[in-house]
Amino acid sequence: MRSRDGTYFISCTVLSIIFFLLSTTFLQASDYLISYRYVVKDSILYNETLAISKSMLGCFGQPNQLLILESDGSSNLKKIISKNSIEFIDFIQTLGMQVENREITINARNKSTTILTLKTTCFKVDFNDKIARISSLK
Amino acid sequence: MKKTIVGLLLVLNIGAFASCADKNGCQDETVVEQVYTQSVPVAQNQCHVNETMNVCEQEELFVQDCPIVKTCDNYLARNSEVKVSVFGQGVAPCDGTCSPAQAYALAKRAAIADGYRLIAEKIKGVYVEGDDVVKNMMIKRSTVRTWVSATIRNANIVETTFKDGLCEVEMELTLSHAQFYR
Repeated sequence: MRSRDGTYFISCTVLSIIFFLLSTTFLQASDYLISYRYVVKDSILYNETLAISKSMLGCFGQPNQLLILESDGSSNLKKIISKNSIEFIDFIQTLGMQVENREITINARNKSTTILTLKTTCFKVDFNDKIARISSLK
Repeated sequence: MKKTIVGLLLVLNIGAFASCADKNGCQDETVVEQVYTQSVPVAQNQCHVNETMNVCEQEELFVQDCPIVKTCDNYLARNSEVKVSVFGQGVAPCDGTCSPAQAYALAKRAAIADGYRLIAEKIKGVYVEGDDVVKNMMIKRSTVRTWVSATIRNANIVETTFKDGLCEVEMELTLSHAQFYR
């Protein structure tokens, strides 16, 4: 026969395990750091880089703008973004891009380089059923 | 006799004053009075913004101490917006080696970058630097460097056209007074 305190301890652990499982399977919210950069040389796209990484520390700030993408049950953000890259890049561009343009004209021959950069920004991502909710933190 | 002459003169004087009051002869005095009555309320209201005034007039009162800014056209007025519209152009990098869809996507990306550059040029300006090398009275080398650096937020793509490998993107940015001075 167990004492009352022992039963209480076991029930607490079971409840905490169930809560942990629920939070990890059905509602996963996590912070991601995303940066984006692309280079255009002489009006031709030259190089494009999209870096996605899970944040090791929690980010602070309020969710600002929201983007909803179809995830097909997956919680891999890189795959989700690669499937919906056009929507995501359009979303990123509204957040604010740093523009750097350099042109040089030597003896009437022009060369131009334009670099558009989204500085590393923290995003909060919620993976629900088949939807990923991505919102930038500000 | 003297009394009649004095009486006649008096009658003539009164008639002359009466004609002055409603005819052209006394216009100078009335004009002066009008100018005076017009100038007084303006001088009193110079420091107070009237509700009937439009935004430009309010702004002029607000910056009346600034000698440079005089008219509303020269600056972005408070509670007003300015739309900046540009056309960016981009070309696909591949000459027939990539699919039309890929060419369109890549050209559009380049056109968007060009549009952002044009918006930045309009809003923030361009740094320009030029060098000319002259030797034996002849220009040997002429160099012009320009650069732009800015951060653009909330620029919208209005229209995209793709023809003969050239992509043109019309971009628009609505700029308000509060955003610009933030």
